[in-house]
Amino acid sequence: MSETAPAPSAGPVAAGDRHISGVPIRLDGVTKRYPGQEQPAVDDVTLEIAAGETVMFVGPSGCGKTTLLKMLNRLIEPTSGRIHLGDEDVTDQDADQLRRRIGYVIQAGGLFPHMTVGTNVGMVPRMLKWDKERTAARIDELLDLVGLDPAVYRDRYPRELSGGQQQRVGVARALAADPPILLMDEPFGAVDPITRQRLQDELLRIQEELGKTIVFVTHDFDEAVKLGDKIVVFDVGARVVQYDTPERILAEPAEDYVADFVGAGATLKQLTLTRVGDVDLVQVTTAVAGSPSAEAVAAARAAGDDFVVVLDARGRPISWPTVAELTRTATVPQTVDERLPVVGLRSTLNDALDTMLAASQGGVVVTGRRDGLAGVMAVETVMAAIQRSRTEAAG
Amino acid sequence: MTAAPEVRAGDAPEPAPAEETARHADPSAAGGGGWRALLLQPALVVLGVVAFLVWRLTADLSDTEARQLGWAVLGDSIREHLALTAVAAVIVLLIAIPLGIALTRRPLRRLSPLVVGIANTGQAAPAIGLFVLLATWLGFGFGTTVVALVVYAALPVLRNTMVGIEGVDARLVEAGRGMGMSALAVLLRVELPLAVPVLLAGVRTALVLLVGTATLATFIDGGGLGVLINTGITLSLDSLLISGAVLVALLALAVDWLGRLVEHVARPKGL
Amino acid sequence: MWEYVTERADLIAFQAVQHVSLVVQCVLLGSLIGVALAVLVYRNPKATALANGMSAVGLTIPAFALLGILLAPFGFGITPAVLAVTFYAALPVLRNAVVGLAGVDRATVESARGIGMTRMATLLRVELPLAWPVILAGVRVSTQMVMGIAAIAAYVLGPGLGGFIFSGLSRLGGANALNSALTGTTAIVLLALVLDLLLVLAGRLTTPRGIRV
Repeated sequence: MSETAPAPSAGPVAAGDRHISGVPIRLDGVTKRYPGQEQPAVDDVTLEIAAGETVMFVGPSGCGKTTLLKMLNRLIEPTSGRIHLGDEDVTDQDADQLRRRIGYVIQAGGLFPHMTVGTNVGMVPRMLKWDKERTAARIDELLDLVGLDPAVYRDRYPRELSGGQQQRVGVARALAADPPILLMDEPFGAVDPITRQRLQDELLRIQEELGKTIVFVTHDFDEAVKLGDKIVVFDVGARVVQYDTPERILAEPAEDYVADFVGAGATLKQLTLTRVGDVDLVQVTTAVAGSPSAEAVAAARAAGDDFVVVLDARGRPISWPTVAELTRTATVPQTVDERLPVVGLRSTLNDALDTMLAASQGGVVVTGRRDGLAGVMAVETVMAAIQRSRTEAAG
Repeated sequence: MTAAPEVRAGDAPEPAPAEETARHADPSAAGGGGWRALLLQPALVVLGVVAFLVWRLTADLSDTEARQLGWAVLGDSIREHLALTAVAAVIVLLIAIPLGIALTRRPLRRLSPLVVGIANTGQAAPAIGLFVLLATWLGFGFGTTVVALVVYAALPVLRNTMVGIEGVDARLVEAGRGMGMSALAVLLRVELPLAVPVLLAGVRTALVLLVGTATLATFIDGGGLGVLINTGITLSLDSLLISGAVLVALLALAVDWLGRLVEHVARPKGL
Repeated sequence: MWEYVTERADLIAFQAVQHVSLVVQCVLLGSLIGVALAVLVYRNPKATALANGMSAVGLTIPAFALLGILLAPFGFGITPAVLAVTFYAALPVLRNAVVGLAGVDRATVESARGIGMTRMATLLRVELPLAWPVILAGVRVSTQMVMGIAAIAAYVLGPGLGGFIFSGLSRLGGANALNSALTGTTAIVLLALVLDLLLVLAGRLTTPRGIRV
């Protein structure tokens, strides 16, 4: 049985001005047979992935999606078929050399516990014989990219980090030698929902900056819809059932199988398709931590706001005290509110609603590049979107 | 002589994991209890040595006893004992660690249950039986003793090398290969460093086993502190017997402590 | 060799029974002592550390040395043999029992107390059964170890198969020396394996079904 899935014609989502550093991937009749098993684990898969796109592999467990992913960096050798990265046929290349050019992220980061964060991130550059200064500079650059202060985290050991931080280091390590391709094998499967959502936002932000070709295996369809430019739905033997944009898969599932997999409640799934950045955000009064409270209070009253978003020195939101609270302090407090509900511009309305509910707040703070403040979104905005999609569904 | 903890991995699936915890209670105790636990043991050893010296200098000894417990004779016995232990230990490390590594590599991995099974069965053999059987074949003396000691002490090192390497999270190995490390690089930079605590626990076990088992050397003319005990038993001279026994026990404790110290220092940071 | 064995079948059988009987009784006694000590210490971190230290230090003392030390007060015979074998039998059980009891989920213990079970009932009906597989693993280690130690005890005129090994040693070079030593050694290995098998079987039968793997 042969299944051919050409790259969907619905052109790359990447806008013309987006920077793309990835290369296309082409699989040609890739098959994996294990001795003693009648059915091949991966059966004659032909697939094209465009440069700079994030393609999500979804499907039931045991469908061969992880096997297919691992054949891309030849952790599993294909029984037959060819694999092309860019213009190169890499099927017979030296596997170790090949893998140094492909970033690989697994659950919990797969960090080496006996090496510091810096050493972990610097592994591939060192294998590629970069000089010390270049490696050190790259480590700091990458830690900064994934939102970890290099001075604080460079010399820590993985066990001194939270699950989410370990995962960030895992992403930094995979990006170390600036590979054009990033393979991610259920990377966010082991963290709690709130952390997972932040990591997803982070990945979207990084991808917007770097434009890698990302292949991402997940069992979470919402994650696929949120992160993917395209989604591949697999059935047993890695049969490609549908390969399309999230919007079209949700709107027109190719088979009942896909419809079942997507799940009921497709109306609310539309919440997963709308990004926070797509709706109107409210601009609010801000104040830098440590500045005089009186100024902030005056500004807020002038603008008619009843709360103020406090930013740290790097412009990142850390808390949102009410005006009444601020009048009681001389300077704007420096304390970081751990429960501050934050989402990114590329988060979905679904994420935003989740975050509000988890924090019991009527709104969320929205951050953009490098975690800087982009605005605030109120629960009413989400409600309006739900109303709209219900009306559309009814009509 | 068999009086040392042994690590049994692989047989009987259900107790195995629990047993592992039980065994590696030592390294974790050294890690958790920290330096205080590490200081108690040498204190005990020093106390024992001082007590022995005081007794030796003040005791009223017969001629035979005084001759056997003369400083030169004592020194020779201790040196012999240490030589037996050290030579056997070096050979054990040279054989068991590479073999243990080889048995975790893909081509030989299928053989590992067989090798561990044979080794476990061999471990059930009484040390004294092994000494005597080897002596009927190789004759008496230092060489035979070393052979017997090596056969006897290789197992804990072999087993812990394998358990240590197999205990490394498979995902870390995959992460290493996935970022382009060669199989050798993964072994040297990931698997072996992470196996160090378990491996060293096995080495310490083997060393303690060696010190104890070397007392049996006296039966096949291999020398060492066992001679004192044996002479004490045959001549009914309690002072010799107890001197030998106490010195061996102190030596074993000291070696055990050194092993723990090395484990404490060599434990990879970050674990 | 076969001739040697058949000629002395009675003696070998007698010594084998003696050997196993010494080991089994001492392991039983040692296990009781080990578990009892563990029960006394496992709730107190300091006492637990002390017990762990004791078993670790105890296990470093060479058996031949301990036998020697015990000879001085007790003389030749069964007493030093029993004392030494019991001593070594108790240590692995002590260590594993401490680990096993400490490994019982606190929530389980609390819920037992919560439904009104007394401390004693909790220990007997919840904690010890849950720790049992680990304790039994300790018993297996003990048994294997003291099979060999019992062989050395023959040197201080304890009973058992060690006698064959030492008589082989004393007649080394002469007729039957090899046969004698080989008989003793092989018999001990075989019996050790049989005992281990029985303990594994006992483990299957006595481990509560819910925690069997």
